[in-house]
Amino acid sequence: MEILGNLNVIGYGLAAIGPGIGVGIVFGLGNQAIARQPELRGPLQLNIYLGMALVEALAILGFVLAFALPYTSS
Amino acid sequence: MSANAHVLAAEDGDGGLFTPGGPGFAPPTTDIFFPPPIVEFGPFAISKYTVLLALTVVVVLGFWFATTSKMKLVPSRWQSVAEMGYLFIRDQVARPTIGKQGDRYVPLLITLFFMILVMNLWGVVPLVGQLPVTANTAVPIVLALIVYVFWNVVGIRKQGGWRYFRDILFMPGVPWPFYIILTPIEVISTLIVRPVTHAVRLFANMFAGHLLLATFAAAGFYMFNPGAPDALLGAVSVVFSGFAFLGFFAFTLLEIVIMSLQAFVFVLLTAVYIGGAVEPAH
Repeated sequence: MEILGNLNVIGYGLAAIGPGIGVGIVFGLGNQAIARQPELRGPLQLNIYLGMALVEALAILGFVLAFALPYTSS
Repeated sequence: MSANAHVLAAEDGDGGLFTPGGPGFAPPTTDIFFPPPIVEFGPFAISKYTVLLALTVVVVLGFWFATTSKMKLVPSRWQSVAEMGYLFIRDQVARPTIGKQGDRYVPLLITLFFMILVMNLWGVVPLVGQLPVTANTAVPIVLALIVYVFWNVVGIRKQGGWRYFRDILFMPGVPWPFYIILTPIEVISTLIVRPVTHAVRLFANMFAGHLLLATFAAAGFYMFNPGAPDALLGAVSVVFSGFAFLGFFAFTLLEIVIMSLQAFVFVLLTAVYIGGAVEPAH
């Protein structure tokens, strides 16, 4: 079987797994924290977005490398 | 966005979906991020990005001049809009992350936020824009570089050069054998990965979002083929392209949310970096 296309895209898919789980955990636990202590909503939301931004970094690097690395196919 | 996709679909000649022997679907490539230069002189050129960047400056400057040049104690409608923006950055970003000294850095944060927001939103403005300025790597890199230099200078001035870099290199409160592992990690993560991800996060989000929208628009144009040889299939193709355009509009709304969120995240991270430089590590 011949597979056509760019291998980098598979790399991006792999790179998206971890951040996907991470963003889910960040928002899930963040919502849980807000539900437990609604009066802390402001700082918690700030931390949620901060955590999302940091966790997302790997997926975004993978996305950019999918375009930036030279084209290879199997 | 849609205009580029339309050109792209039209280049394939006649016939779309359900035309036997017709051209296949050609998804938009990264070429849509390289618009042809409008004016060329020597090695330099003015492209759509430059025009939109200049427009951004005009829009942001105009907004703040118009709303704050004649401020009154009882704000007019537009002045209260500007005040809401100011209070949002000050109370949601500057004060929680930087602390008591946060008010000093509000002007920088506000400028960054509104510049990036407007530059992002050009991606969904029909006819004029349809190209987010931040999807050009140069813009986020320069912004992140300014911020990088800024928080390092702030840290050196507030804490003194020796102490500032000592805290980065040797995180206080850690048993000394850990420094063998910790110091290289800290140096790489603080001084190298931080500015890189700061720039790339904004760039990649805009790039990916714009490509997504372009793909939906191109798919819609490709599948719209009422003149197919079979009339029934022609009707089906119209329904298909309707779904593609529905997806296009839904993702446009999502993209507006992401554009605002990324502008906010960029400013939030800027504030966090400045906050880390202002206060000595505990």
